[in-house]
Amino acid sequence: MQIITEQNLRNLIDLLVKEAKLVVGPKLSGSVVLYEPLTAGTELTLDALPRRSSKELFFPVCEDILSYKREGGGMKVTDVDRSKFPETVLIGAPPCDAGSPSILDAVMSWDYKDEFYLERRKKSTIVGIACTKGDDACFCQAVGLAPDAENGSDLFLTPLKDGSYACNAVTEKGQALVAAHKNLFAEGAGAEPVPFVDQAVQKLDLVKIKKWLEEHFEDPLWERIADICVGCGACAFICPACHCFDINDEGSTDDGVRRKHWDACGFAKFTNHASGHNPRDVQNKRYRNRIMHKFKYYDDKFGKTLCTGCGRCIRACPVGIDIAEILETINGKAE
Amino acid sequence: MCESKNIYLPNLATIEAIVDETPDVRTLRLVFQDEAVRENFTFRAGQFAEYSSFGFGESTFCIASAPTRKGYIECCFRSVGRVTESLRRLEVGDTVGVRGPYGNSFPIEQFYGKSLVFIAGGIALPPLRTVIWNCLDLRDKFKDITIVYGARSEADLVYKHELKEWQERGDVRLVKCVDPGGAGPDFDGKVGFVPTVLEEAAPSAENTIALVCGPPIMIKFTLPVLERLGFSDDNIYTTLENRMKCGVGKCGRCNVGNVYVCKDGPVFTAREVKAMSQEF
Repeated sequence: MQIITEQNLRNLIDLLVKEAKLVVGPKLSGSVVLYEPLTAGTELTLDALPRRSSKELFFPVCEDILSYKREGGGMKVTDVDRSKFPETVLIGAPPCDAGSPSILDAVMSWDYKDEFYLERRKKSTIVGIACTKGDDACFCQAVGLAPDAENGSDLFLTPLKDGSYACNAVTEKGQALVAAHKNLFAEGAGAEPVPFVDQAVQKLDLVKIKKWLEEHFEDPLWERIADICVGCGACAFICPACHCFDINDEGSTDDGVRRKHWDACGFAKFTNHASGHNPRDVQNKRYRNRIMHKFKYYDDKFGKTLCTGCGRCIRACPVGIDIAEILETINGKAE
Repeated sequence: MCESKNIYLPNLATIEAIVDETPDVRTLRLVFQDEAVRENFTFRAGQFAEYSSFGFGESTFCIASAPTRKGYIECCFRSVGRVTESLRRLEVGDTVGVRGPYGNSFPIEQFYGKSLVFIAGGIALPPLRTVIWNCLDLRDKFKDITIVYGARSEADLVYKHELKEWQERGDVRLVKCVDPGGAGPDFDGKVGFVPTVLEEAAPSAENTIALVCGPPIMIKFTLPVLERLGFSDDNIYTTLENRMKCGVGKCGRCNVGNVYVCKDGPVFTAREVKAMSQEF
């Protein structure tokens, strides 16, 4: 087993920054911890789940997909130079964040390929870290992940009781990162791992839940849950797996950029037709779609659950809608 | 520069002609500016594209012209929003962006040797017009062709010049109608809602394919009529015109249950539509 001390982990960040890589990790930003570019190893903060997920590293809130400019009598459209996307190391992401790109890869690469997302994925290495504490909103175990799940990580760190980390190079990218900085890693048995404090929500039967969803497209449950939803979209914007987006232009008719930017199926006009007809015209239909997309539709299409159990939507919801509680209810209802 | 393909990059096209179909519905004839694109662009009837007005963004419309008519494509839209309003302000010679073609199409080869009944309402004629012209350009391959087309009022009928052409060409039966109260004094069609007029016209279901396109309410009331006339759900085709943005199965907007209309559709049989969750 390979071990890295906390100091060497911080030294690794210093070295990666010197190598001109974009190093992103949890960092205290004002009064909250966010995933932000690190300029030094000392900035890495590992004692709190960042407020927003790390999804935006691969799928930014807003990104240019082309620019246009009037030239002569016509229009010139210029592609975005994706070769300039930086080599990136995401460091210190718990499994609920480290796991999301491996879920989103499916939708971004089936048939048509979203090269904006895929180029960033290609140029990124994810150093995940086992989680040692949860809160009332955490439910990764309920959706098939775990505080020590390596899914999605290239290199996975497990905190040990002596303050160092056991390292497991999960992928070739992870092996390459270790190989390139092998003097920072030591062979050793290592101390005992820091234990994880159990989550409130235990493992759910996702197959049972999916079957219930298939059979209960119409159910009073949807109205009960969603009648309080205010459709603010916070749950989607803070989610590591939600991937809905819109495309709009910014600029004048002569000169500007076209941008892809996050959207949310909870917004009232998300599905509004030009005719005025809206297939999901009330909030309970929209909330039903959110649950269905995550636990049925995405699984039907790609064989994956579109949720990592990070609990951010629960913490962020202004009216206290608790997706884990809904899943527990459905799990209890399912035969 | 990056070598990977940007799926959101449109081809540029010039507006070659504009036809005002109604006070708020307009048809644009578009010609691709790049010679290679112009020569190599192919599509099948029923496919759609993302059209952009630079400075405003993109809107989704079916390709309204027929694949058998080469050298240009046409789109037809009602100006109801920001992008469509801006498209309507453009003039002949201006540039628009076109991404596509996307989605599946009507399996026209499977209709060879059969009769066809087209049923359209209002601004939903364009998705069928592409098939109508495709089939009229191959007229020998089909038996009877009936078109039932209605709109709220006489003024709302689109492609009026083509309706006349279809009426006069002799190998098409056109049944034109407007909703009660929508006919002017000289209207030469029928007065009534599309499903009712269809039932009165009573096209034979034998060896016949029905193609229906219209607002959801029209489709809802037309399907039982077709059933009464003897059409099976496998012989009825429609298109689901859901709101879309990316057009390529990423943006999560157009789903009906686990069906992505942009990738699995927009063309579906009535059997497929009935199997979907009723959220469209």
